[in-house]
Amino acid sequence: MAELVLEHIYKQFDKNVTAVSDFHLHIKDEEFIVFVGPSGCGKSTTLRMIAGLEEITSGNIYINGKRVNDVAPKDRDIAMVFQNYALYPHMTVYGNMAFGLKNRKFPKAEIHERVIKAAKILGLEELLDRKPKALSGGQRQRVALGRAIVRDAQVFLMDEPLSNLDAKLRVQMRAEIAMLHQRLKTTTIYVTHDQTEAMTMATRLVVMKDGFIQQIGSPKEVYEHPENIFVGGFIGSPAMNFFEGTVGEGTFTIGETILSIPDSQMEMLRSLGYIGKEAVIGIRPEHIEEAVSGNGSGTKSSVTVLVEVSELTGAETMVYSSLEGQKFVARLSAETLIRHGERVELAFSMEKAHFFDKETEMRIRHVQEAV
Amino acid sequence: MVLKEQDVIEVKASPKPSKNKRNMKKHLLHLFLLPALFFYVGFQVYPILAAFVNSFYSFKGMVRQDFIGLENFIRLFTEEPFNNIFKNAFWHNIIYFIGTVLTKLVLAFALALLISSRIKGREFFKAVFFMPKLLSVIVVGFLFSLILNPTNGALNSFLKMVGLAEWAHPWLGDPKTALYTIILVNSWYGIGFAILIFLAGLQAIPEEIYEAAKIDGASGFKMLFRITIPMAMPAIMIMTILTFIGSFETFELVFAMQGSSGGPYYSTDVLALFFYRLAFGSVDGGEAIGLGSALAVILFLIICTATAISLFFFKRKEIEQ
Repeated sequence: MAELVLEHIYKQFDKNVTAVSDFHLHIKDEEFIVFVGPSGCGKSTTLRMIAGLEEITSGNIYINGKRVNDVAPKDRDIAMVFQNYALYPHMTVYGNMAFGLKNRKFPKAEIHERVIKAAKILGLEELLDRKPKALSGGQRQRVALGRAIVRDAQVFLMDEPLSNLDAKLRVQMRAEIAMLHQRLKTTTIYVTHDQTEAMTMATRLVVMKDGFIQQIGSPKEVYEHPENIFVGGFIGSPAMNFFEGTVGEGTFTIGETILSIPDSQMEMLRSLGYIGKEAVIGIRPEHIEEAVSGNGSGTKSSVTVLVEVSELTGAETMVYSSLEGQKFVARLSAETLIRHGERVELAFSMEKAHFFDKETEMRIRHVQEAV
Repeated sequence: MVLKEQDVIEVKASPKPSKNKRNMKKHLLHLFLLPALFFYVGFQVYPILAAFVNSFYSFKGMVRQDFIGLENFIRLFTEEPFNNIFKNAFWHNIIYFIGTVLTKLVLAFALALLISSRIKGREFFKAVFFMPKLLSVIVVGFLFSLILNPTNGALNSFLKMVGLAEWAHPWLGDPKTALYTIILVNSWYGIGFAILIFLAGLQAIPEEIYEAAKIDGASGFKMLFRITIPMAMPAIMIMTILTFIGSFETFELVFAMQGSSGGPYYSTDVLALFFYRLAFGSVDGGEAIGLGSALAVILFLIICTATAISLFFFKRKEIEQ
């Protein structure tokens, strides 16, 4: 079992392309860490640096207290699952799983025992004699996982392992990987650009953008307290709605529309000197609901808008509209009768709204809250 | 968009071509294949069939005489001097094949590995190695005859110049070295093509596989023998088959360098040269079209069988992969 420390890691390609900047993270034993972010945010590069497939420009990586910057990938005691599986096409499933053990000169009997055990865990017993070509996508992915688990490595690194699977299989494999982690408890670092995968699997998320860590926290923390506009918009589906406006005494003015700000939020905005200043509020689609008479007061602010699109997804209805020229989406119950082209009154749960600085795009909050 | 009446009329005015018309058009297109078909049948299919037929007949000069069954084949294998010349030439073809595999293919694979490892100037090296292939084989043969000339050739002059006079040798004149010298010249000539094929094969191996192997603890040696070579097998097999076919068809280079009798003393004689002499005249036969055809048929069968067998194993391996 392993603890990882990534100490101020930088990665530069050429002279002026910085892929990863000041990546600083302490990963505890048995954690399931997910690096999430859009393409090109540096998440895969960071994973590859941990694997030793990419050199570190500056900073240090420690695995169980041992600095591994200059240790070859094979000696880092890590196992990796690749996006395209990277199975050896000329070897059988058994051969694929045994290859790493053979290279490490394990006795034959032990190799056999470990491969069979891993095959049992992953339901691959019937397929051991097959070549990867004769396997389905999901089976290939299981072999790739099997190749990692036979090694009994200290750390599992997974680079977008589910991105080549179809939607249904992806959900199934997601659960299987999560169960595998619960069973083996191996420290795992998982890279994905899919925020649903990130939210459902991680014990902690590392949200990245342009090579910088945007936020580290449990999925719940990140979802409920996004550190900045990017994180708020990236985590959650559909994305958080943002409205630019001006903070007043108890009000947030978006063009002609005035929303009321609850006291608890107001106190913070007042003390940080935001009154009269421009700001951005973020409100999740599920925090906008159909207004019924009586809930327009208090912490809810209702607005009348024209419904542009109404999508029934089955369990719920997404209603797309815009407020003062700023588009937003509301997640309503499936039973709603709202149809496109109608003018409706929607209520914003302002106590759930997030306030962001317009300039820095950072969450507005008291300094002590940050600690 | 509003559809105007005009548009509708226009659509109506261009009806779908009738089935007959379309069929005619299809047949018309077939006509364009005729010239190619004419040359293919005339210069490929007909000669092969003719050789098969002729191999069962006796000839007087160029004129076909009587049907004699397998007589020509039997004579080739049993009658002096044909049987000895056949054995000698066949053996040389085998040596030619093995020698070419060992020099051209092994070296080409090593060079392809080197070039694919992102060394500087890879495009330059690719071009340089491929350049000989742009020359005609006859030109290459003639050039090397000059270079290897025992008295005033460039190679021996160079050896003498650098103080290695004792290494100077009549490379093409000594029966012990002549065949190997030609093999090396052939390898020099064809290595660029082999490198290109191998490079394509190597570049088809995904980088991730190497990375996975690295993490799996494979050493450089294991990586080569357990990953690179097995995965480049399609390219290796194709080059081996092509080399086999090329080795049994080889004619021009030997002819250009050593003449039609594969001198000295038949030390570079190969089946294609023997065929040429048998069919078109020289010391050992002369206008024995029947015998020559029999030999051509044997050559054809050797190449076909070997290719079919290797393709069979190759296909099976491919399916397994």
